[in-house]
Amino acid sequence: MQPIVDPFPLSPWIPGPFSLIAYAFAVAVITAILLFVSSWLGEKKPNPEKLRPYESGVIPTGTARLRFPVPFYLVAIFFLIFDVEGAFIFAWAVSAESLGWTGFLEITFFIFVLIVGLFYVWKKGGLDWRPQRTRK
Amino acid sequence: MTIYSAIFYLLAALIIATTALAITRRNLVHAVVYLVISFFGSALLFFLLGAPFLAALEVIIYAGAIMVLFLFIVMMLRIEESKRRIFPLSQWIPAAVLCVIYLGMLAVILSGIEGDMRLETAVAVPAAFSMWIFRHGWLAVEIASLILLVALIGALHIGRRPAAADKKEAQ
Amino acid sequence: MIDGILGFAVLLVKIAVVLGILLLLAAYLVWMERKLLGRFQVRLGPNRAGIFGLLQPIADALKMVTKEDIVPDQADRLLFLLAPAVVTATALLMFAVVPFGPDLTLMGKIVPMVVSDINVGLLFVFAMSSLGVYGVALGGWASNSKYSLLGGIRGAAQMISYELALGLSLVPVVMLSGSFSLVEIVRAQARIPFVLIQPVSFIIFIIAAMAESKRIPFDLPEAENELGAGYSTEYSGMRFGMFFIGEYVHIQVLGALVAVFFLSGWRGPVLPGPVWLLIKMLAVAMVMIWIRATLPRFRYDQLMEIGWKVLIPVSLINIVATGALMMLF
Repeated sequence: MQPIVDPFPLSPWIPGPFSLIAYAFAVAVITAILLFVSSWLGEKKPNPEKLRPYESGVIPTGTARLRFPVPFYLVAIFFLIFDVEGAFIFAWAVSAESLGWTGFLEITFFIFVLIVGLFYVWKKGGLDWRPQRTRK
Repeated sequence: MTIYSAIFYLLAALIIATTALAITRRNLVHAVVYLVISFFGSALLFFLLGAPFLAALEVIIYAGAIMVLFLFIVMMLRIEESKRRIFPLSQWIPAAVLCVIYLGMLAVILSGIEGDMRLETAVAVPAAFSMWIFRHGWLAVEIASLILLVALIGALHIGRRPAAADKKEAQ
Repeated sequence: MIDGILGFAVLLVKIAVVLGILLLLAAYLVWMERKLLGRFQVRLGPNRAGIFGLLQPIADALKMVTKEDIVPDQADRLLFLLAPAVVTATALLMFAVVPFGPDLTLMGKIVPMVVSDINVGLLFVFAMSSLGVYGVALGGWASNSKYSLLGGIRGAAQMISYELALGLSLVPVVMLSGSFSLVEIVRAQARIPFVLIQPVSFIIFIIAAMAESKRIPFDLPEAENELGAGYSTEYSGMRFGMFFIGEYVHIQVLGALVAVFFLSGWRGPVLPGPVWLLIKMLAVAMVMIWIRATLPRFRYDQLMEIGWKVLIPVSLINIVATGALMMLF
C-alpha cells in the first residue's frame, strides 16, 4: 500500500471512477424518465374495480401480506454464510498464482470446511424444499 | 477544501441521514431499504478512501446478503407495522450511557490532535489486499471458516425449530 | 481545459452509444424472441406492424407509455413506484465495466472501448446483481397482492441461491487471469478462450445466468399459470415495461459477461471488436431463447436442489481442482 497523490484521476479520458459516475448519472436520468413518462402521458381514470388487487377475478379476502414460510429464511441465512466464504475465496483467487502452494493449502482447507458444512446441512434436510408428505 | 473532502462530507451526511431514517421508521421494510442505502453510502466511502475491494464486499455482503436476510425476517415475523413503541424506556438508559462514553472518547481523541491533520489515503489493489490477508492473517481465515461452519449448523437447528412449531400450529 | 471538455464530450458520446444500443437491442430482443418462438412453434410470430413485424417493438413501447399507471389499493406507494427502477438501473449499470473493443486512437488520444475499467469490475457486477434482488422482492411486497408477494419471495430466494453458483463459477476465471478487471480478463484470453480451459465453469455460469435472469425453465417467480405474472402482476404501463426492459437488458449483459469471461470477449478475426462482442452476445441470447422454447418449467424443489446440491458443490470442487492443476503446471 502506498500513499497516493491523486486517489482517482478525474480526467474523462481515463476509464476510471469518473466515467462510472457519469454513466451512473445517465442511467439515473433514463430510469427517471421511464419511471414518470407513463404517469405523465397515460390515462388517468381510476375506479375502485381497477385499483383492487388482481386475483384472477375473485374479490381478494384478508391481507395480502402473508407470512413468509420459514424455509425461505433458512435460504437467506445459508446464502449469507456462503457469501462471506465466497468473499474469502475471491480474495485468494485474485493472487492465487503468487500465493503458491501455501495459499492453495489454506484455501483447500477452507473449502473443505465449507463443503463439510454444506453436506451436513444437506443430510439434516436443510436443503429440502419438497412438501413434507412427498418426502421419503 | 478539496473535491475529495467535499465528496466525503456529502457521503457522510447521506449515511447519517439514511441511518437516522432507518432507526426511526415504524415500517420495518422501509427501515431495511434506508439501511441498504446507508450501506451503499459506506461502500462509496470505502471506495473514496482507496479500498475498492472492501467497497465491493460491503455492497455484496452487507447490502446484498445481510439486508436480504433482514427483509426475509421482517416478512416472516409479519411485524412490518409495529404499533407499540419499538424502543422501550429501559433500552434508552444503556443506549444513553454508551452515547456518553463514546462522546467522551471522541473528546479525548480530538483533544490529542495537534494542529492540522490530513486524512491519509492509500490505494489497496485487490491483489495486494489478498496477499496480505493470506500471508499474515491465514490463521484468522481458517478460524473464520470454522466459525462460519458453527454458524451454519446453528442456523439450521434454530431455523428448524420454528418450522416444527408452525406445523403444530397448523394441526 | 479544452482537453478536458473534449474528453468529456467523447465520454458522453460513448455513454450515449452504449445506453442507446442496450435499450434499442432490449426492444429488438423482445421482437427476436417472439419471432423465434413463433417459428419454434410453427407460427409466424409478429408480422403486422411493418415488414417482418419490425415496427412491433415501437408499437409496444408507444402502447406502454400511454397506458394508465395504476397503483393498487393499500399498496406501499413509494416502494411500488421505485421497485421497477431498481431492476432497470442495476441491469444497465452492470454493463459499465464490460469492455467492447480494443483501445481506439482518436486525434492522438487513446479512447478506451470500455465505460469504466475499475480494478474490481467483476465484483461490481455482483454487487449490482445482488442489489437487483430488491427490485423483485420489494416490488412483490409493495403491490399488496398475494400473487405478487409469492412471486417476489420466490424470485428473491432463487436469485440469491443462484448468485452463489454464479460467483463461485467465476473464481477459476479470476485465478487464471489474476484480476477482477474485465479488461484484464479479456487480455488474459488473447491466446486461448477460457471456455476451453474451464468448460465446467462455463456450463455452471450459463445455467446460473439463466436462473438469474428468471427465464424459462427458471421462471418460477413469474410462472403465469400459477401466479398471474408473479411480482409484476399489479404493474401497468411503463412501470411494467421497466421490468421488461430490465429483464432483456439483463439478458444482454449476461450474454456479454459470458463472452468476456469465457469466449475471449471482443476478440475475433476480421471483424472489429464491438461487432464480435455483439455477435457473441446475441448468440448467447439466442441459445437462451432456444432453451426457453425447448424445456418445461422446473418444480420449485427441483430448482433449489439444482442450485444448492449440484451447482455449488461442483463449482467448489472445480475451484480446488483448478488450483491444484495451476500449482502443478
